[in-house]
Amino acid sequence: MEDEFIIGIDLGTTNSLVGVVDSGFPILLADENGERITPSVVSYREEADPLVGREAYRAKRLAPERTVSSVKRLLGRPFSDLTPEELNTLSYPVTNDGRDHIQIPVGKSEPVTPVDVSSEILRHLKQVAEAALECEVARAVITVPAYFNNAQREATKAAAQKAGLRVERIINEPTAAALAYGLDKIDDDQTVAVYDLGGGTFDLSILQMRDGVFEVISTAGDTQLGGDDIDQAVAGELAKTWELEDLSPSESVNLHTAAKEAKESLTAADSHTVRLPFLRDGRSFEHTFSRAEFEALILPVIERTRPICRRALAEAEGKEVKKIDHFILVGGSTRIPLVRDKIEEWFGYEPNLSQHPDEAIALGAAIQAGILCGRVRSIVLVDVTPLSLGIETFGGLMNVIIPRNSTIPAKAGEMFTNAVANQESIAIRVLQGERELAKDNWLLGEVIVPFENGPKGSARVGVQFAIDRDGILEVLARDTVTGKDHILEIRDAAVDVDDSEVENMVSESIEYAFEDMNERVWTEAKLKSEELLPAVDTALQMVGDQLDEKEMSQIKSAADEVRGLLSRGEKDAAVLKQANAALDDATQSLAALLVEAAFSDMTPG
Amino acid sequence: MTNFFTILEIPISLSPDPERIESSWREKAKESGEADLHEARAVLTDPVRRLDHWLALQNVEPERGSSIDPEMMDLFSRLHSVLAEADQIIGGLKEASTALTRALLSKEAIAAQLAIQECMKTVREEKDLRIERYSSFEESAETGKFDGAVATLGQLKFLQKWEQQCQERLLTLLEY
Repeated sequence: MEDEFIIGIDLGTTNSLVGVVDSGFPILLADENGERITPSVVSYREEADPLVGREAYRAKRLAPERTVSSVKRLLGRPFSDLTPEELNTLSYPVTNDGRDHIQIPVGKSEPVTPVDVSSEILRHLKQVAEAALECEVARAVITVPAYFNNAQREATKAAAQKAGLRVERIINEPTAAALAYGLDKIDDDQTVAVYDLGGGTFDLSILQMRDGVFEVISTAGDTQLGGDDIDQAVAGELAKTWELEDLSPSESVNLHTAAKEAKESLTAADSHTVRLPFLRDGRSFEHTFSRAEFEALILPVIERTRPICRRALAEAEGKEVKKIDHFILVGGSTRIPLVRDKIEEWFGYEPNLSQHPDEAIALGAAIQAGILCGRVRSIVLVDVTPLSLGIETFGGLMNVIIPRNSTIPAKAGEMFTNAVANQESIAIRVLQGERELAKDNWLLGEVIVPFENGPKGSARVGVQFAIDRDGILEVLARDTVTGKDHILEIRDAAVDVDDSEVENMVSESIEYAFEDMNERVWTEAKLKSEELLPAVDTALQMVGDQLDEKEMSQIKSAADEVRGLLSRGEKDAAVLKQANAALDDATQSLAALLVEAAFSDMTPG
Repeated sequence: MTNFFTILEIPISLSPDPERIESSWREKAKESGEADLHEARAVLTDPVRRLDHWLALQNVEPERGSSIDPEMMDLFSRLHSVLAEADQIIGGLKEASTALTRALLSKEAIAAQLAIQECMKTVREEKDLRIERYSSFEESAETGKFDGAVATLGQLKFLQKWEQQCQERLLTLLEY
């Protein structure tokens, strides 16, 4: 078995990589052009195999509607999960297949699914590995964001199978990065936090490394947060500055590419000029971003990682992990200096930049693959499930069966009985998430538990909910007579809606997406004004006496400005938004005073 | 039925030595990738899951649809109002889109946090109180009596659920 390779794959939102362990060390494999990084882009063609990777990336400008990028953000999600904003930012069309599954119509042939697209990327990586290793490869370890739910994990596995790869293990990306970091520190005793901000997903995991054991203590994340959102913020700003509305797919691709270049350039440079010649109607566009302007634009995106970090850190603290020795950054987006600065500012940890932002996860996947085929000395890896697993009970509540951050694999049993005589079965809705109400969580599917005929309460079936090492759910029912377990099918809970209804849903969402932008921005801004103005009055009453005159007059004039705009009938959304921002800014110190007052009121002494 | 004590080669007990669990697990985990090992450690180090497993090993069926112990009713109603209060504040914080409107809620948010922490402390005390009874369960088991253990397990499951609910609210409040 020693000779058979298991490859490790980082299937990323923007880029994908493949590696193996060779002579005890993890290495990444390069394609025939010597490139180790494959863009996660697939471009479909008529009457030819799709292009994958760099070639597909180049094809994106020419055939945006047939070129699929960032498909990982769609993987394993129902169509109804997508927001109009998300649909709007994609440069290729997506549709509902009628059963709430996402489809991508690419050219004339059959539409493809996110699983199909991912499998093309995986097939390409498999070929890269086979060419580099000069042997066939059939087994793989694949990384996924730690915060991926069951459906997203299943979809990843399905994509691999479709590409002819047997998935030996699914491992979480931050855990993989920690393996890469810790391989040469196996016998050290330390606690690390891995901050993984990639192209499309964010995770924070806290791990304890001790005596050859890597144990995940807590993890939190957001599977829809990453570099893509930063590009979107920059591209949106460009469109606004240049007053470009209703972007065509190719304009959208051009803007996003330019935004991405600006982001990469501003990692080192203090300013960057975006030039897009002949973008629309023969007109060319130019805009210079200063570093400060860029950072102000993307700060809201970076800020979204903060509560997630606080959650994971607090949960680790609840498990007696008080001190983080190293705060490790991985993922391409952590190259942005603002990310590094903010982490230090928020948590007081100096970021550890020892890992290659793009390669650490793939190296970790390779190490895990190496452990499984005996090429690396044994490291014990203990991971957790990121989300609580539960079932729906009376009143639409979620009953947690396996709490989040439980060590996997994990099993939990529940007994079910018939509520009426001769009931044939009971349908159990299986959920994942942290919310009290069942409907606020992800519905994984429905399991039908069969009963034997008998009077009310006589039938008894023990059902086991098991989360395996890949973080994937399996539901088993025990036959009370034979004592044997059998697997219950988890049925897709998406109901078949008839086609006209689906069409309605689709057209509604499109209408919503393209409705008058000014009207929408105005309404949003007006809501914010109406929230802020009374708050300013209340706050001034409470702690206004502690402000100096200058601050006071700034706040008052900013508030008057907003009031004036609201009473005038002009409905200029951009101006109101700006006035809101100014008022928001002017009241920062007022807000701080309030928080301070609350603290001194509530804590004795 | 999997016996997690056997897997870690430690004697069946309701109060096993935690260090022995850890060292035995570590040694075995390094030798083999057996999936059951991790679960054995997780179950045996968690007092509630341990009691559950111990009862299952004795072929004792858990109580179904158990109700809240009368002595815990006061705690339950206190918890209920504290959590409802917290949810209301969390709702307000979620809706607030500016630092100022959130700051206006900070006094209530801190009060809610303190109330939850207070509740959680009581919940944990109640849990510990019941875990202390474990040795008496082992004694009764020798005479074939398990009703005390079964009833306690039911109550512990309630307490654990409440602890989780408190924890979730605290974490959410912390996000603002």
